Amino acid sequence: MKILDWIKHLLEYLGGAQDDPPPGFSVALSNIWFWGLWWGLLAGIIFIFSGQSSKFIYIDF
Amino acid sequence: MPLSKYKLLWMLCVLAIALVAINVTVMVLTRNSLPRRVMAHARQARNASVVAIGNSLIAAGFDESAFDSGMGVEKERGSVNVGLGASSPVEQLLLFRYARSHGMHPQILVYGFYDQQLTEPLKFATRDFIGNRDMLYYVEPEYGLHFYQLSPHDRAEFELMRHFPMMVDRSAIWAKVELLRRKLAQTGMPAQQVNRFGRAGDFTLLEARDAAEFSRKCEAGTREDLITPINELIRQASEAGIKVVFVEMPMHPSHLSVFYDSPAWNQYRGHIQSLLVAQQVTYVDASAWEAGEQMFADRLHLTEVAAAQFSKRLGNLLRESQIAESQSNRDNKAGAWPIHGQ
Repeated sequence: MKILDWIKHLLEYLGGAQDDPPPGFSVALSNIWFWGLWWGLLAGIIFIFSGQSSKFIYIDF
Repeated sequence: MPLSKYKLLWMLCVLAIALVAINVTVMVLTRNSLPRRVMAHARQARNASVVAIGNSLIAAGFDESAFDSGMGVEKERGSVNVGLGASSPVEQLLLFRYARSHGMHPQILVYGFYDQQLTEPLKFATRDFIGNRDMLYYVEPEYGLHFYQLSPHDRAEFELMRHFPMMVDRSAIWAKVELLRRKLAQTGMPAQQVNRFGRAGDFTLLEARDAAEFSRKCEAGTREDLITPINELIRQASEAGIKVVFVEMPMHPSHLSVFYDSPAWNQYRGHIQSLLVAQQVTYVDASAWEAGEQMFADRLHLTEVAAAQFSKRLGNLLRESQIAESQSNRDNKAGAWPIHGQ
């Protein structure tokens, strides 16, 4: 359960729901490189799944 | 610890760098996307005497070397297939213009179509510009906009998106994820029949739901003129001295029996024939040229063997009609065009 609580805390921190990181996770909110790249990664994940809702059936591209 | 505005701005700068990197990556990964490959093929075949244009039915069904052998022309002066899967007549017009602007001066334009493709009005939204249709963002985008309707919201979105590769080619990356998803979904399941365009079974979705719906579409189409990009394709080709040949593409036997063997289709066909012939377009009805189910990779597309058969026969037909035409010109008789190949 402790591991699950830790993961929950981490995800809440990454998602902005908590201001303090879980114990052992040393990335502070002031780390501009980590958070800038984290948002870029989220943008990339949204991007690669962006066609998922389309009804496009051709896959020849 | 509260985040200062200064730090937040720096984070946004890092995000902007990440987005630039994603755009560059997408640009590199899609430099050989299918529309660009078709465009490159058109550039390389500037000596072609015949250009074949259409959607996936032409892309899969027009075999250049078989056509050249039927037509009796050498490869260097032969045909070029610039058919593009999942394209509308707007992209097809743009491809024709692209080929012409890159030095191609063909003598014949072969345009393959099926169902009500020539009369169905084109209404798009930016969400439709995925797959091969994304060329609307980068091949004469302003000119292309004359031929389809976009809402003011979609027009603004189009204008914004066309400057960013990750928006323009968004589906090229998604397609790879989708292929992976389909592969994973197949784990432990009976194998599905697939071909170069996707899952064979999916292509029944591109047909009318039933004969009644198809008849309604035919009746609506019989009251319509040809859509503007088709008229424009014919006009621009004719003005350039190119003979225009419209081919009703070979269709699956089930498609013929359910949809084409109907009074509504006969009436619709008569209507589009008269509209085309009035513009000196040759009309070839090849819909029943391939009779066996085994000649089709799915409900719409020919197999490679069938494509070679169809293309050779088409080449033969055009060669014979050209001979007949030159003879009739010599004898000062009415032209042998249009032909109605059966």
